[in-house]
Amino acid sequence: MADEERRKELEQIANEQHDVKRSARVKELAYYPEKIKEFGAKPTERFVRYHPNPSRLMRMGITFAHKDLESIADAMASNKPWAVVSGLNPSGSLHFGHKQVFDDLLWLQEQGADIYIPITNDETYVVGKAQSLAESRRIAYELVIPSIIAMGFKPEKTHIFVDSDYPDIYNIAMDVSKYLNLNRILGVFGFGKDEEGENPGTIFYRGGVQLAQILLPQYEEFGGPKPTLVSVGIDQYPYILLARDVARRKDFVNPSAIFTKFALGLDGKGKMTSSRPESAIFLTDDIKTAEKKLKTAYTGGGVIASFQKEHGGVPEICPVYTIRTYHFEEDNGVAEDCSSGRALCGSCKKDGIAQVLAYLEDHQAKLPEARKRINEYLLNTQVRSILR
Amino acid sequence: MRLEQLLSTRGLVQQTPNAYEIRDRARLVSPQPIKLFYGETYDEKGDTIDSIKYYLFVAELADALREEGFKVDPVILVADIAACRNVTIELHNRYMVLGNDRVRFVEQVNEVYGTDLRVVRMSEYIDSSWFVQKREEIMQICEADSILMECIEKTVPESKVDIERKNGFLYSFDEIATIIDLDVKVGPPREDLYDTIARLIAEKIVTNGIRSLFLTPTFPLGMNWAYFFANEGIEEHGITAYKAGSKQLHRHRVIIGRSNPDYIKQLITDSFISIDSSLPNPVLDVGIISEMARKRLEHDPSPIILADDFYSGKITPDELKDTVGENVEKYVLLKF
Repeated sequence: MADEERRKELEQIANEQHDVKRSARVKELAYYPEKIKEFGAKPTERFVRYHPNPSRLMRMGITFAHKDLESIADAMASNKPWAVVSGLNPSGSLHFGHKQVFDDLLWLQEQGADIYIPITNDETYVVGKAQSLAESRRIAYELVIPSIIAMGFKPEKTHIFVDSDYPDIYNIAMDVSKYLNLNRILGVFGFGKDEEGENPGTIFYRGGVQLAQILLPQYEEFGGPKPTLVSVGIDQYPYILLARDVARRKDFVNPSAIFTKFALGLDGKGKMTSSRPESAIFLTDDIKTAEKKLKTAYTGGGVIASFQKEHGGVPEICPVYTIRTYHFEEDNGVAEDCSSGRALCGSCKKDGIAQVLAYLEDHQAKLPEARKRINEYLLNTQVRSILR
Repeated sequence: MRLEQLLSTRGLVQQTPNAYEIRDRARLVSPQPIKLFYGETYDEKGDTIDSIKYYLFVAELADALREEGFKVDPVILVADIAACRNVTIELHNRYMVLGNDRVRFVEQVNEVYGTDLRVVRMSEYIDSSWFVQKREEIMQICEADSILMECIEKTVPESKVDIERKNGFLYSFDEIATIIDLDVKVGPPREDLYDTIARLIAEKIVTNGIRSLFLTPTFPLGMNWAYFFANEGIEEHGITAYKAGSKQLHRHRVIIGRSNPDYIKQLITDSFISIDSSLPNPVLDVGIISEMARKRLEHDPSPIILADDFYSGKITPDELKDTVGENVEKYVLLKF
């Protein structure tokens, strides 16, 4: 009798959770189309249809939208110079959420792009994600840059810089900031009621440095105006609009953008982020840690196998499913197997763990060599044109 | 070629009434011939291979119906009056002379490929009393029907609606009066709007109503994938088949009597093509036109299967480009 009661109780919990997960799926599926509509971006499907060899993330709809990719396509197809900018905040090691962006950057480099990677340690510091500039520099050089190099970027077409160690970026920030005013920046970023509490560094970063990073490849020292693509999350769309505004005033080419879906956190509490370490697989995680995180990860499945076999899982909200398909394989029926109940979370996790651990082993084996090659990738071109 | 085979030619026919409907119409109008029609304007940049696509198709359609014992009147309209509407008064005379050139071009096609297309110029009938009377009747019907007038307005680009309204939408009514009592009208898909209005009006004056037959849109040669990606909607509408200078792309068109075969071969080599049949394929289009030309020259009645061969993988993209480059030179360019 007790067993029967327990079974009924579990079924009730499974039912309730399944409802919650299905509601989350509805929300998840609606989120990106809504954002496309809100920002007037375009889906990437058309690009995928025409490009002879589109990136895996584009084919899968993970890089799901763009703004003005047409000018990039023209440069890509005609072998004209073009650039990609994708910065990141070094608050810790890179994780799989970063990796998916870098996978697209690698593909873009194969298509002919010069890749600019600003490591925004100044932002990390001013917003309080690092205790000191020194700490943020250490993270950048010891953890972030070697991982980027280990991913396989070509040194001759990769330009990495740590903001605090590339002071020219601040001259450019001053140059671009004169095309803006505080009202415009506050209007875009909505500091709102807390704006008086913001430190001036944050405001200078957002209104100057961030835009300087986007527009850097179009300065004389880097070959002058050229199509430039920024790879960001859709929440950063306002930066793109500001950058386009400034580019127009400087007779630069309007920057384009591609938008990538967020990686889901392993804890089921939103996107994968360094600020919730249990939500992320870091590229420097040791094998045991990574395996444990995946084994205990939140999934789209049910609490009891019989229920899941009958009702299926919800792959769209499952971080294990997204890790597998964002990073390692085309869907190939994985979602169908999950939602039909044919595959259970245990076997899916097993496959995912094998893929993740194999990647980590390979990646970490490349890090010692990558550390030796940092100088090959660092940008040290001085920007004098604005000082003349 | 049998009627069914012709109408189902992949890569050539986009939308068509079925063979039974065409035969029914031929029976209905008998003993008068069934009127098959294709009309076009022109510009200063020359005669395109894409016009030949329509001429040869109308000729093939006529032959297929004749083989079944029907009387046929295949007509090519050179719309000289319409061509002059978009040019300055100073260029008017020049454009009327260009109309003579276009008529000669159709006659040349008749000679080269053994077709018997009848050429009519718009200027020959536009002021005739029977045409003016027909146009008046259509105008009265439309003016009494707000929905029809809305449709008429839609035939005019937004920027020109006010001017055309002052002119009583005369140009649009000329077009509709020209096509309203045809049997089968062949044209590009973008002509659907006029055809639909003509059918709506035809219902009111109890004529049979035209049957529209749309061939596949025309695309420029020598353009890369990025061009097609950037031009949304091009898949549906293409560029204007009969105007070599459509969208200023005359350097990307096969212009009869002007284009150097080697230049065209290079354009073909540089062209975007895809094995996805829903995407534009300018090379296949030129290939099918060349194949139509070859079949007429060699009296080959077999169906055109170039698109089937390409999309089934029997021909690779490179093979297609090579074949089309050779065939367009041999069966089209060197014949003029």
